[in-house]
Amino acid sequence: MPGINVLAGISIALLLLSTCSALYEDQIKKFDWRSVHVGALKQSRVDLNHFQPRLLVSTHEDVVALLCPKTGAIMWRQVLEQKPRGDIKLLQVSGFSVDSSETAAAPIGKNLGFDMLTVQGHAPALVRGWNTNIGTIEWEWSIMPLNSEKAQDAVWFYSNSILYHIVPAWRSHLEVTGYFASSGHSTGSTSKIMASWITKETCTLSGTFYVCVDGKQLISLDLVSKSTQVIRTALETEPQGTIEAVEGLNGVVIVDGKLVSVNKDQAVCTALQGASYAVGSFNYRKIVVSAGLTSGNLKIGAVYLDNCSPVPELQQTLQFPEHFGTPTLNSFDCKLKRNGDGKSCMFVFSTSAESIVAVQQGKVRWSREESLANVIDSQFMDLPLADTEGTLESEMKGKAGDIASAFLRRISTQAVQIRSLFLHVIGLGPPPTDTQRAGLVRDSFGLHKMLVLLTRNGKIFGIDNISGKHHWQLYLPKVNSFDNAEQMRLVVQRTAKHFPLQPLCAIVAKNSVNGNGVLYRFNPITGLATEGGLLQLDFKIKQLSLLAETEKDFVKGILILDASNKVHVYPQHATPLANGMYLYTADVKSAQLEGYFVKYAGGQLSCTHIWNARLGGHNSEQQIIAVAGKNPIEHVHSQGRVLGDRSVLYKYINPNLVAFVTQAPDATHKSVLNLYLVDVVSGSVIFSMTHRKVRAPLSIVHSENWLAYSYFNEKVRRTEITTIELYEGKAQANSSVWSSLQAPPMPLVERQSYIIPAIVEALRETITERGITNKHVLIGTASGSIIEMPWHLLDPRRPIASTTQGREEGAIPYIPELPLPTESHINYNQTVARLRNIYTAPSGLESTCLVVATGLDLFVTRVAPSKTFDLLKEDFDYILISIVLVALTSGSLIVKHLASRKLLKQAWK
Amino acid sequence: MNLTGIVVLLSIVASGWCFLEHDSWITVELHHALATNTNEFSFRGNVTIPSLNSGLSNVAQLPLTPGELDTLKALAKQNEFYRLKATVVYPNGAKTRFLTSNKACSLLQAHLNDVLWISLDPSGFVTGVTASQDASPGASGCTSDEINQLEETHFNTDVLIRHAELAPVPDTAGFIQKVEREREARDRGEVRDNRGFFAKYWMYIVPVVLLVFISGATNQDGAK
Repeated sequence: MPGINVLAGISIALLLLSTCSALYEDQIKKFDWRSVHVGALKQSRVDLNHFQPRLLVSTHEDVVALLCPKTGAIMWRQVLEQKPRGDIKLLQVSGFSVDSSETAAAPIGKNLGFDMLTVQGHAPALVRGWNTNIGTIEWEWSIMPLNSEKAQDAVWFYSNSILYHIVPAWRSHLEVTGYFASSGHSTGSTSKIMASWITKETCTLSGTFYVCVDGKQLISLDLVSKSTQVIRTALETEPQGTIEAVEGLNGVVIVDGKLVSVNKDQAVCTALQGASYAVGSFNYRKIVVSAGLTSGNLKIGAVYLDNCSPVPELQQTLQFPEHFGTPTLNSFDCKLKRNGDGKSCMFVFSTSAESIVAVQQGKVRWSREESLANVIDSQFMDLPLADTEGTLESEMKGKAGDIASAFLRRISTQAVQIRSLFLHVIGLGPPPTDTQRAGLVRDSFGLHKMLVLLTRNGKIFGIDNISGKHHWQLYLPKVNSFDNAEQMRLVVQRTAKHFPLQPLCAIVAKNSVNGNGVLYRFNPITGLATEGGLLQLDFKIKQLSLLAETEKDFVKGILILDASNKVHVYPQHATPLANGMYLYTADVKSAQLEGYFVKYAGGQLSCTHIWNARLGGHNSEQQIIAVAGKNPIEHVHSQGRVLGDRSVLYKYINPNLVAFVTQAPDATHKSVLNLYLVDVVSGSVIFSMTHRKVRAPLSIVHSENWLAYSYFNEKVRRTEITTIELYEGKAQANSSVWSSLQAPPMPLVERQSYIIPAIVEALRETITERGITNKHVLIGTASGSIIEMPWHLLDPRRPIASTTQGREEGAIPYIPELPLPTESHINYNQTVARLRNIYTAPSGLESTCLVVATGLDLFVTRVAPSKTFDLLKEDFDYILISIVLVALTSGSLIVKHLASRKLLKQAWK
Repeated sequence: MNLTGIVVLLSIVASGWCFLEHDSWITVELHHALATNTNEFSFRGNVTIPSLNSGLSNVAQLPLTPGELDTLKALAKQNEFYRLKATVVYPNGAKTRFLTSNKACSLLQAHLNDVLWISLDPSGFVTGVTASQDASPGASGCTSDEINQLEETHFNTDVLIRHAELAPVPDTAGFIQKVEREREARDRGEVRDNRGFFAKYWMYIVPVVLLVFISGATNQDGAK
């Protein structure tokens, strides 16, 4: 009997699995797209004289890549280990050695045993030789330094086939070791150079020289020369900022925008002034190129290094778009064989907005938006209505008096519509607006949206979710994420539903200079600032919340709790709506929660501290590693769950429930992970659960009456997912209004754990407009795939012993390991490197949920958890069905006619 | 002075409950604020919990003076919060402060009957103290008439302890046992088909029904 039950169960499971809609081959890239990134530029080497022009880059995201210099497209990309192990310290391309005086003019491709070399990490340091044509590692060696802590600040340079490893001991000495670059053999013993003046802030490595600022002079050491002579170079004034090295010039540093040489063999042009410099060759002569931004214009100038005379061919000025931020010249190259008009020279800039910009002939040739490698928040915004629909909408919204006037208004609107349609046809209509010309018009199913992405360095993008086109970008300089491990936030203050009012979004961030709050309001469709744009607040932000819509202009006010526990509302006219709001704060380090009540009385906002909770344990050793609330736009369609005996188990749907996860090392259990479910209005700890021998990485998702979280089990060394469902019981306390202060005290808690054969990086639930569609959990794995997992499989009520009751309820018998079938990978082979987060949003169709997965890459798609029940298949044959319909109707008419004739004939017989 | 010793036994099924490895005792000092915009808390009472595992408690609380009752009523009329400060004292003398609030109105409606929930973390330290009242079904808001009639001055407090529970682990052993049992049963030939009649014999029934239909149709033609 149980065997058959298992069979039945498995057949149910298979049935359910088959509902996971996989893609057909012809649907690939039909409604999904991926954009691939490399990250913010660290070092680059543009080489136009190679047999295949190339641009080699290393980035802050530990990526090595080869870009096409003509288009900026990625030829190959290697995503290396994460920091600190993968931190790229040096990128050395063959033929670009720093100290040979003829560096830039040296023949390219001189055989040095490597094509390109990288040094990564500090303990161990990994040295790798690369084949740059196909992007493969040819050889690798590593060294483990004696003192791994000191080696964190180590620097490397390459000179004459030898790779030097310099480990500074601050305020004491330098340890210099040489290794043969391609073999890793040490050239001799480590030499210690006494240098008591070195500190972390004032020193830099320029070629083979170690240069430090000491008051009004530079103290430097030539690390490859036989005698360790201390060179002192006097400066005119004490440097304001830090000193920077110029790549390609041995012993030359930039001090306050000017070049200073500490190397007596290397003369420089001291008259030059610029923000950034690069060295290369032009017309077989060595030149120095300087670049700087003055009032929105990028100025590029160049001088010959031997006589300091300017190079007029390379002099250029161009308008530099503001959203790129401040540019820094990273590298440049000119084609040698062209006639020396300078038109073939390409300059590669990295910018403060993490873009890579290539400039050629006074124009931006191409640019890459690498800040998209660090997306921290996203919103899908509805597009505005088409003009005609818009007028109709505004008519419908008007307060209708009586039926007759409403009817008249409707008729007149439609007359206007017909007239505008006619004018449009004959070409006399009003010109379409910018957004309409760009094709940004709402479609009938609400699938076409504007994807607004906020990135870590303050750049904001408006991207078409169908085509992937960047419609606008914005850059907020000098903003930062908050303290307490809290990211900047992107909030929607007004949706596109309130035609003719434009939608409104806001960025809430921290000023990186003084730590105060910053508010930036903008229109998410056009990317233009509205309502005054940037607003510098004069207080630090501790918590924020959105209020209800105002009746006047439908704006959701932002309620901000500042560091001194005062509350503020923006815009000000929404202040009365803050009355009766509850706020909570969670300190990550001490794991303390505080609850506040906001009151508005007599024109004054006040804030009362009403509860606190301490999740930190006795000595505050527990730290909060995750906080998960519910999506505020979520609708719960079904209030209960029908059991096998046809009774209803009511869900515990508390919108104020927030899950907190804390972690701490433990003496007996190695590491302990605690989960707390806290009602953040009343401050009551509803439920707590503890895992032993379990640690981060943790991902958590919280929705409706359930939550699921994944973690690493140290004891059995595997990733597991625990799921929890909360039920009120067979009766509902209050079916119409939820009050946390009068809540049922103790929900029933169903819980279960599953093994997942993958490393989980992100979890997210699907969300739809009305919540009727089944909920699926999207699981992002470390290998970059996104798996759509039906909640049926994660359900904590899956019965261990299969019973008739369980089967009646539709629960699948418990199997400890979750299946990951290939057809449920929604991104098929479009893996997302370094997947970090998944965001979901409802579309206009109840069946469909829009998804964006972020990481180093960006992947946008849509999923239909219960299949597209409200949509015809895209290969639906409209022609066939019309032909059949017409044929049937006409056939029946003809047959009717024939039949009557036959009857008549029969009657005459 | 009113001594209310209430013994509350947690009558909850022990499965899944995580009892503390090292049982200990705590005392909780209660102070309350009966006015808004004040940080003055007056003493309300003491709670002693001799054993966290058993959850037994002794509660000793002062009754409200008539003046205090009036301020509480004023608080309720303004629909303000009644704030309660709980100072938890551990056996080693360490103290932690907790704050909890509730509407003064619902406290009065419940005739000063309340429940003090003390939540513990896995190692027996208090994470939160919450006072709540049982929702009184008929009560709708705090009208001044209703409140003025209330004369109860004695707090009646139940103390309940919420332990942290132990999380489930994937039940691989149970699953393997189940599979083993099933295999054994199959080997012994004890497998019994418990599917419904139709589910079992549909492959015989469907052709028969089809045949009946077809023959019926042909018969009709023949009859014509």
